[in-house]
Amino acid sequence: MAYQKIVKAIPAKKRESLSDKLVDFLLKSKKEDKMPSDLANTILSQWQRGSLTTEAGLAALLEAAVLLEPEKTMEFLEQEPQLADVAKALKK
Amino acid sequence: MVKFGIEFRPHEAYWKTIYYAIQAEKRGFNNLWITDHYNNRNVYVTLTAAALYTKKIVFGPGVTNPYLINPVVTAQSIASLNELAPGRVVLGIGAGDKTTLDSIGLEMEKPLTAVVETIEIFRRMLEGKSVTFEGEVFKTKGTKFNFKTKEKIPVYVGAQGPKMLETAGKIGDGVLINASHPKDVDYAVDCIKKGVSETGKKLTDVDVTAYTSFSVHESPEKATEAAVPVVAFITAGSPNVVLERHGIDLKKADKIRGALKTGDFGQAFGSVSKEMIEAFSVCGTPDMCIEQTNRLLKAGISQFVVGSPIGTNVRKSIDLISEKIIPHFKK
Repeated sequence: MAYQKIVKAIPAKKRESLSDKLVDFLLKSKKEDKMPSDLANTILSQWQRGSLTTEAGLAALLEAAVLLEPEKTMEFLEQEPQLADVAKALKK
Repeated sequence: MVKFGIEFRPHEAYWKTIYYAIQAEKRGFNNLWITDHYNNRNVYVTLTAAALYTKKIVFGPGVTNPYLINPVVTAQSIASLNELAPGRVVLGIGAGDKTTLDSIGLEMEKPLTAVVETIEIFRRMLEGKSVTFEGEVFKTKGTKFNFKTKEKIPVYVGAQGPKMLETAGKIGDGVLINASHPKDVDYAVDCIKKGVSETGKKLTDVDVTAYTSFSVHESPEKATEAAVPVVAFITAGSPNVVLERHGIDLKKADKIRGALKTGDFGQAFGSVSKEMIEAFSVCGTPDMCIEQTNRLLKAGISQFVVGSPIGTNVRKSIDLISEKIIPHFKK
C-alpha cells in the first residue's frame, strides 16, 4: 500500500524510463533469493498485460528493486531530476 | 516463412526466465525452448510458468532425454502442459548428454533406439490408447492416461550424428540441430534428407531447427566478448571431425579443453580464435547477424533459434533482434 502511495508522486513522463531502469536492476540483480514469489508473480502479470508503467506496475517494481538492490535504487532516484521526492518518501 | 525461436537455460530464478519468455512473445518470436538439465530449474515447472504467462508462443523442452525422464512421464508432462496451453506445446527429445548422465550414474544405453522407442510410446500414449510396448530399452504394460488428450503434438528430435539425423528426418515433425554455421547445416540437412526420402515426405514437411549460439550488439567487439565463453565450451565439446570441418587447429581446441578442465577460464577464453567464433556462433551487429542468419536459411533451416548468450544484456538483445533482425525476414 505504501508503495502505491509513493508512486503517485512520479510524473507521468518519468514512468516509462523509471520502469525500464527498475526492470534492469531486477534482471541484473544477483540477489534473486530476496524476491518474494508473490511479488515476482505480480510483476510478471503486469508485464504480460503491458502495465509495468502504471501505478500498480511501478509500485511492484519499486518494492522489488528496494528489496533486491536498495543502494542502486536509492542512488538512481536521488540523482534523477523529479524523482528525488520518491527517494525521500522511501527513506521515511 | 522462417520461424524465430529463443532458447533459455533456466539457471536463473524462474521470474527472470519468464520475464524474457513474455518479452520474446511480445517481440514476435514464434517458439520458446527450455533446456532440460537436472542442475538447473526443472524444465516442466519452467514451461508451466511460461504457459501461464504467455498466450501465443509455442514452447517445449529443448531437449529432454529418455534416460533421466521415463518416456511415459514425458508423455504425461507434455499432455498436461497441453491442457494449460492447447496447441502450443511441442516435445523436443534427444539422447542426452553423456557427461551429465554419467554424473548421475545413468548409462546412455542404445541412444538411437531409446529415442525412437520414446517417440513411439509418446505418440501412442497421446492417442489415448492403452500401450503395451516391448522395446529393446523400454517396456510398458497396458499403460494408459486417466485423462483425455487433445491433439497430436509435434515431436522435434535433437540430433547430431548421421544416424540420429537420418532417423529424425524419418520420424520427427522437426529436427533440432546445434549449428551456427552453414557447413554444419549442410551436413545435417543432407542426413535429414536421406531419412525424409525414405518415408515419402518432403524436407519442407520437417521443421529443420538450428540452435545457434547467438550474440548481438551494436558493437561487434562487445558481441564477440559475450560469445567467447560459450564458443570455448562448444569448441571443447566438439568432436575432431567437426573441428576439422571448420579448419580449426586441433591443438588449439585441446588447449581450451585442458584449460576448462582445470578451471583456468582465462586461458580457455583467451585461446578462442576468430575461426572458432565464426564456426560456432552467429555473432556481431544486427546487420552481421542478418547476413549469417541468411546463410543458414539458404542452407535449409526453417526455424532459427537464438541461443545463449543472446548478447551482453539479454533484455536489450531481445529488443534489438525484434527491432532490427526479425523484421528483415518477415517482410
